Amino acid sequence: MPKNITVFTTNTCGYCLMVKKWLSAKGHTYEEVNLDTNPVRQQEAIALSGQLSVPITVITKQDDSKEVVIGYNPAKLAPAVA
Amino acid sequence: MTKAELHDVVMVGAGPAALAAALYTTREDIDTVLYEKGVIGGLAAITDWVDNYPGFPDGLAGLDLSEKLQKQAERFGADIRLGAVLKITDKGEVKELETTDGLIQAKTVLIATGSDYKKLGIPGEEEYYARGVHYCATCDGAFYREKRLVVVGGGNSAVQETIFLTRFASHIDLLVRGDTLRASEVLQQELKKYSDKVAVHFNTTTQKIVGKDNKVTGVQGVSTKNGKNVNFETDGVFVFIGLLPNTSFLEGSGIALDDIGMIRTGDNLETSMPGVFAAGDVRSGATMQIASATGEGATAALMIRKYLEPHTH
Ligand SMILES: Cc1cc2nc3c(=O)[nH]c(=O)nc-3n(C[C@H](O)[C@H](O)[C@H](O)COP(=O)(O)OP(=O)(O)OC[C@H]3O[C@@H](n4cnc5c(N)ncnc54)[C@H](O)[C@@H]3O)c2cc1C
Repeated sequence: MPKNITVFTTNTCGYCLMVKKWLSAKGHTYEEVNLDTNPVRQQEAIALSGQLSVPITVITKQDDSKEVVIGYNPAKLAPAVA
Repeated sequence: MTKAELHDVVMVGAGPAALAAALYTTREDIDTVLYEKGVIGGLAAITDWVDNYPGFPDGLAGLDLSEKLQKQAERFGADIRLGAVLKITDKGEVKELETTDGLIQAKTVLIATGSDYKKLGIPGEEEYYARGVHYCATCDGAFYREKRLVVVGGGNSAVQETIFLTRFASHIDLLVRGDTLRASEVLQQELKKYSDKVAVHFNTTTQKIVGKDNKVTGVQGVSTKNGKNVNFETDGVFVFIGLLPNTSFLEGSGIALDDIGMIRTGDNLETSMPGVFAAGDVRSGATMQIASATGEGATAALMIRKYLEPHTH
């Protein structure tokens, strides 16, 4: 189980909704950072992912290492949150 | 190995076509499972606004419509699973589907996999993917507040998404290969309202996406009128040049496709594999609208019911 999970989203992004649905379906809780309501955190999202795209999921593991998953990609999310 | 579970119908995709079909089949007590590899709601979920779906006089957000379609299908028992179907094999009475969760069997199958964005296939496109080159305005548009953008395309999607992107961008160059827009008249009129922000460049092909320090800086094109190079300074590029049917997973299945890879069906929406039906954007002859996709979904469901009748005795 990861220590915590943060999902960067925007209001209109369907793939963001899927990441949230997927995490909930697998029993994970997460913090959501909505870049439409919180645009000041955009630079942080870009720095974490190197991309100009949401969703960005940041998984902080028990040893405080971080894994970043870009987009809605269950094949990458599953091992990252295991 | 445990025996694969068997369902009355497995639907591939959970876009408007499949969600409408599932609403119909579940209301008939037909046990229905859907597999969705992307977004529930399909392309409708990544469209920012829908003005032409009957019953919503003020229009509604694509994501909102998708949620409503999903809720209505689930209300009657549709089982939507997050995963992809990788292969369909005809085993006679049943069809076997290989999915990302393992094997599953079905008496009937509905393929409603829609289509995906076409790529330009030009230098710089792969290199700057998601770092300046995008195919989803509702996902990535927000990164371009007060920035310059290039949009490539001249159809409904390109014009609709250009209008959406004016919320964020300071200026948009819309590059159109032909000498007219193929978008509907309504959308063209709407676009005119944004002429202070949007410059439309006809007869302009897109040749190369260029960048510096990991960032897109411009697009190189050619004017088909005089063969001269034209350059557009930009922070990002959104590409909407049409769609490709999601049928590559059917290769080798024996399901007949037309020459652009869309699924051929008869009048009853059945494919060349008995018991396997197709509906929506993926079907050869589809009119690529949400209303027609849901209509075809309803028709396919009734055909599936008919097909299942003699098979249930
Ligand atoms: C930018 C844009 C704007 C649009 N605006 C409008 C509009 O205003 N009004 C309108 O009527 N129409 C509009 N459309 C068209 C409309 O979105 C489509 O006609 C409609 O979504 C088609 O529905 P569908 O169910 O056939 O396919 P889709 O919506 O494409 O859904 C198919 C689903 O199948 C899934 N899938 C594919 N392969 C597999 C697999 N192997 N396993 C599991 N799942 C799979 C996909 O992930 C997808 O979610 C727009 C389209 C675009 C791109």
